[in-house]
Parts: sequence; C-alpha cells; structure tokens
Amino acid sequence: MREINRWRRTAAMVSVVALALTACGNGDNGDVGDTDTVDDTDADDDGDGEAAGEVATDLGVTEEPCPDATNEDNGCIYLGILSDLTQGPFAPLGVEIVEGQRAFWQRVNDNGGIAGHDVDVDTYTRDNLYDTQEQSTQYRQIEPNILALAQTLGTPPTEAILPDMDADDMVGVPASWWSGWHFPDTDDGLILESGYSYCIEAQIGLDWVNNESEITTLQAVGYPGDYGGDFAVGAEAWAEANGVEFVGFVETAPNAVVGSQDAAVGQVLSAGADVVAIATGPAEVAEIVGGAAAQGFEGQFMGSVPTWNPALLDSPAGPALEAQYVHVGPWEDFSGESEAHEAMREALDGDLPTNDGYTFGWIWSYPLLAALEAAADNGDLTRAGLRSVTENLVVDYEGALPETTMSDNPDETAIRTAVISRPDADAPLNLSSVETGVTGETADAYDYTQRCSG
Amino acid sequence: MEILIATIVRGVGIGSTYALIAVGFVIIYRATDVVNFAQPALVILGAYFNALFVFNYGLPFPLAVVGSMAAMALIGALTERVALRPMVGQPPFSAAMVTVGLFFALYVLAARLIGSNVITMGDPWGLSRVEFLGTTVGQVDIAKTIISLTAIAVVGVFLQRSKLGLAMRATALDQEVALAQGVNVGRMFGVSWAMSGALAALAGVMIGTAGGGMVALDAFVALKALPVIILGGLDSIKGSVVAGIFIGVAEALTRTYQPGNADFLGANFDVVVPYLIMVIALMVRPYGLYGTKEVQRV
Repeated sequence: MREINRWRRTAAMVSVVALALTACGNGDNGDVGDTDTVDDTDADDDGDGEAAGEVATDLGVTEEPCPDATNEDNGCIYLGILSDLTQGPFAPLGVEIVEGQRAFWQRVNDNGGIAGHDVDVDTYTRDNLYDTQEQSTQYRQIEPNILALAQTLGTPPTEAILPDMDADDMVGVPASWWSGWHFPDTDDGLILESGYSYCIEAQIGLDWVNNESEITTLQAVGYPGDYGGDFAVGAEAWAEANGVEFVGFVETAPNAVVGSQDAAVGQVLSAGADVVAIATGPAEVAEIVGGAAAQGFEGQFMGSVPTWNPALLDSPAGPALEAQYVHVGPWEDFSGESEAHEAMREALDGDLPTNDGYTFGWIWSYPLLAALEAAADNGDLTRAGLRSVTENLVVDYEGALPETTMSDNPDETAIRTAVISRPDADAPLNLSSVETGVTGETADAYDYTQRCSG
Repeated sequence: MEILIATIVRGVGIGSTYALIAVGFVIIYRATDVVNFAQPALVILGAYFNALFVFNYGLPFPLAVVGSMAAMALIGALTERVALRPMVGQPPFSAAMVTVGLFFALYVLAARLIGSNVITMGDPWGLSRVEFLGTTVGQVDIAKTIISLTAIAVVGVFLQRSKLGLAMRATALDQEVALAQGVNVGRMFGVSWAMSGALAALAGVMIGTAGGGMVALDAFVALKALPVIILGGLDSIKGSVVAGIFIGVAEALTRTYQPGNADFLGANFDVVVPYLIMVIALMVRPYGLYGTKEVQRV
C-alpha cells in the first residue's frame, strides 16, 4: 500500500530543515588521538640555530618526532586546524588556506623547526563544515592533543569555541577578518589576527574609490553578521564621516539558501548608488555585478577580500567585473613582491594555487610562529606559556604586512593598510594589484575603540 | 507593470527548473514508492559534467547538455542497481534512508570534483536580455522555461505513448500485477532512476546558468523541489509543473515587492515562501493539487 502520508510527513520534515541544511552533514570524524601529555623539559640539540635551552612543555608537544618528520631528531609540536573543507560555503577557500599553512609550517620545519621541535599541522586537521556544532565537536576531540589552533575558520564557529579555548589556554589563528578579533574583550587575547578588519577594509577601499571618483551615494550589500555586517558598518561609518548619502544595507545570503541574487540586483538597481560596497561569496558577487550591469547599472562595485575567485572571469559576468569591480585585500595576492610572497611561490615550485586562499593561509600563520618562538625563547612551550606571550607580541610578516604589535589598544596598533586590485585575465590569479600599501584618511581617523559588529 | 512582467518571467524560469527537479522525484516515487533524497546531489553532479564537457573536452553547449544527461542517466541507473535494488521488499522508509546516505556520498564526491572553483555552464545566453511584452527580460529565463517544460513534455509523452512508458505506469500502479503481466519490474526501477538522473542533470545546468556560475553548495537549491512535490502531489507530473511554476512566481514576486513594502518580515523572506506554501498545502489539501488521494480501509 502506498505510504503517501508518511512520505509527505518525511518530505515536509526535510523541507523544514532545508533552510539550515547548508551546513549539515556527516562530517569527517577525526580519530581521537593519544593524549600526548608531556610534562618535562626538552633540550634542543639539533644544531640548527633554533636552540632555546630547556623548554617546558605540556599538551600538544611531544619528545617523539612528528609523523613523517622532516627532522627525525626533533620533538613535535602539534597544531590543530578546524576549517571548512567539504560542504560549507567557504570550502573553496578553506582547502587552499590549509594548503598555504601546510607549506608555511613545512618551511619552518625545513629551517630546523622551533626549539628542537618540528611542527605538525596534518594530524589534527578537521572539517568544521562551517557549522558551530561540528566545530565544537571537532575541537573537543583534538583539544587534548594540540598546543594551539593553526586555523579556526569562520567567525561564528570560532566564537562557538571561545569559552572552551579560554578555559584550555588555547591560542588560535582566525581565518576571518572580523573586527572583534582586534579586541581582547571579545577574544580574550586568544586570537592572533592579521591585517585589517572588514570594517576598516570598507573604509580604506571607499577612501581609495572616492579619490578616483567622488562618491555621492553609497549602498552596501552583503551577508548579515560578522562578515557582510561588519563591512557594512564600516561603509556606513565612512559615508557618515564624508557626508555621503548612505542608501542602506541590502542583506542577502548564499545562493544555496536564497536560490538567486535577483532581490539584491533589484535593490541595487532601484537605489542607483554611485558605489556599492559588497561582501558576499564570489558567485553571488558575480551574479549581482553581472545582473545589475546587464540591466543598465553603471555604478562601481567595491568587493571585500572573500568576494574574488579566479574562475569568475570565465563566468558571464566576467566583462562586467572587469569594467565595474575593484577588490580590496589586506595584502598583495600570490604574485606579490614581498619576501613572504617569494617564499610561498618557492614552496609551490612554480605552480599556482587554485585561489588566493593559499596566500591567506601562509600570511595568517606568521603571528603563531612569532608566538611559538617567543614562548620557546622564554623556555615555556606550555599552553599557558604560549598564551602569556601574545600580549604585545611583535609579528614580522617578512614584508607582506608592516611589522605589527598585538596590543589591547587596536585604535593605535591595528593595521589600516590595504591593497586595491582589479580583475585581469593576464594576471596569475586573474587579479592584479592597482595600488599597494593603500591608506585612507577616513580609515586612519576612525575611532576604532570597539568592534564594529557582533 | 514592466517590473511585474519581468518578475513573473523570472519566476516562471526558476519555477520551471523546480518543476524539472520535482518531476525527477515523482518518477522515482511512482515507480518505487521511495522519495529520492539524493536528487540534489544528482543535480550538482550533472552541472559538473556539463562544465567538464564544455571546458575540458570542448563540446558545444547543446552536446555537453546531452552528454551530462546521458552521464547522469547512467549514474542514476547504476546507483539504483547497486544501492537501491537490494532494498526491494524492504520498507520504503529504509530505502529512503539509503537515498539520504547516497546524497551525502554523491555530494561530497561532487564537492571534491568541483574543488575550489566556481563552475560555469558555457551557455549561450549569459546575461543577455531580450524585449518581451514591452520590457526586457533575461534570455536565460526564457530559455529555462522553454527547455524545462519541453523536457517535461517529452517525459509525459514517453510515459503515455511508448511501450516502455506503459510498462513504467503499470509498475507504478501495482508492481505485483505488472510482474504477472511480464513486465521486468527491476528494469523499470532502473529506467526510472536513469530518467530522474537525466532530468536532474538538465536542472543542474539550468541552475548553473546563473550569471556568477555555481558552487557545490548550490545543490541545496534542489531542495526547493520538496515544497513543489507536496503542493503538486507526490505522484503527479502535472502537479509538479503547476506547483513548480506557482512557487517560482510566488518566490520571485516576494523578492521584488517585499523589500520596501513589508520590511518588517526581514531580509530574504522569499526563502521562506515555498515552505509557507507547503505548510498551507499540507493543512488544506494534504495530497496536493493533483496527487492521489489516499484511501484507507477502516
């Protein structure tokens, strides 16, 4: 007998959860490794110039070498990675960010490691599906075995584990640019961010666009929350500071949720602003820019860091993007000229990454390297020892960013420089820098004493 | 008025795509009594194959579409043979759970195949627009409507007029009687999955014609077909078409007119509309507009 009613009920149940299903799934459940609790002292004797004498260690640091160790005589520092690797909205970026970090730490190992220890970022890499529940589950599983988090992707997933990180003295590197990471009252001093925030990014970018062509009306489009929302707050603050009419923030969502960007396109067309500051995913940006341009919109779009993907130039929106879109980034893309960029290109031996997530992963890793080296210099590679060095930590980015001090006063120390780029089919990742080291009057003057959103 | 016309054309375009996906659900349901929750993964895999054929093998777009439909028909039939055929005789709910597992397996496969990039379909319409009833509309919306409804019409004619279609309908009505009449019921199951896979591929291509291309996550758009099959009737192809277009237009109208007129409903309220319609349909007409009313012996 047919079971139509039962199916209707089942289909209805599935439909109801469909709205939230973009982050749902049976993730890659990692094994719970051995609890490598080492409470002893290690003496570095590898002769690589990284010696730090006796170093106290506890969780996540072993005397035994890493699996597939570069330096067989070294101990091992295990770092965890919680990233969006398969099903989440930022998986295309997440995979490349991890690759960039793997290459970064391999270079550290090739140079002898840190205080007689190689660094392992492979063993405890887990897929967080960009889902807060999954993030918490995976964190709990890898936490006993790691010294720090080499990556925690996404602001909401990272916020979900912050209380646990605080209790565990777990320092982490964020794969996001939320303004909250600049403020100790938000991140308890645990998050080692790099570069500007979305909020400052919008202001630097608008200062630059305004210098090119005066803005009279401004609109923001993006995902609500700590990405698009943070960016929109910056855009609105810029408009207010410059006496420019701000015609509103159009909240949209990934295509997987809303199906298409028709609504955003309609609102861009009806507002008719000179400039649209946009912070969505790459495919959504292309749809909005292309759709608006095809219907006669002639304004400029200024996109946040994650809005670009090299494949967009092959989409129908490619010509519109070339004509009407500028990209704001915290540092030069993969083809940049700093020592850091040269090193990452050398690591890939002439190959190109699929997207600039690789560059993000590499550059985001410098603060944790600085913290590990500082902790080792103090003779204390315990979690508490690592946490203690993060305040006023000075980070050298090998030229990719200005030398930075992690302080509790971001109004004075936060980086407020950006790189402006445009789509370019002849560039390695279809994006070429127009101007580097860009600063802006409004961004510089912005009273950055609290987070912009969240 | 111009905005209204353009909105309706957009709604019919996306609604036709919903209908295409929903017909895939209905064909499998009619043949096997199972709702195939793996359909969204078949959709994204179909889009992937189309992009592969266009950009890696240099096939013209029409040939790539046919190729991707053929590939997904094959994958659909193989999936049925390997994963679903052993479930014959088991409760349909168990088979449906197998399709949920299949969804995740095929989705992760698609995500890995697509990798870090946005894929595009290489379609000829792009962002071009055309005059229609005094306004301009996207060529792609017209194309979606014509292609989707033509494909559904072909399926309808096939089921009504061909010998194989007759056998499939007989299987849908009563498997045991069909078996007694010499119909190879197992083969009908395979054909159903193959047809559903081909339609899913076509739907994937239609979704992928968006101006910005698509990413693996866009597979979840296919879940909009669930409200469509509830509204149209789980076993009705005609219902899928009517409900698909109705929901597509309702969604498009909400997208256009809710911002600015009913802001208190919040951003992206159009996302909720298909599911609101589904809930109302379940309360008022639980077997859908054209679905078979269940008869229970009391």
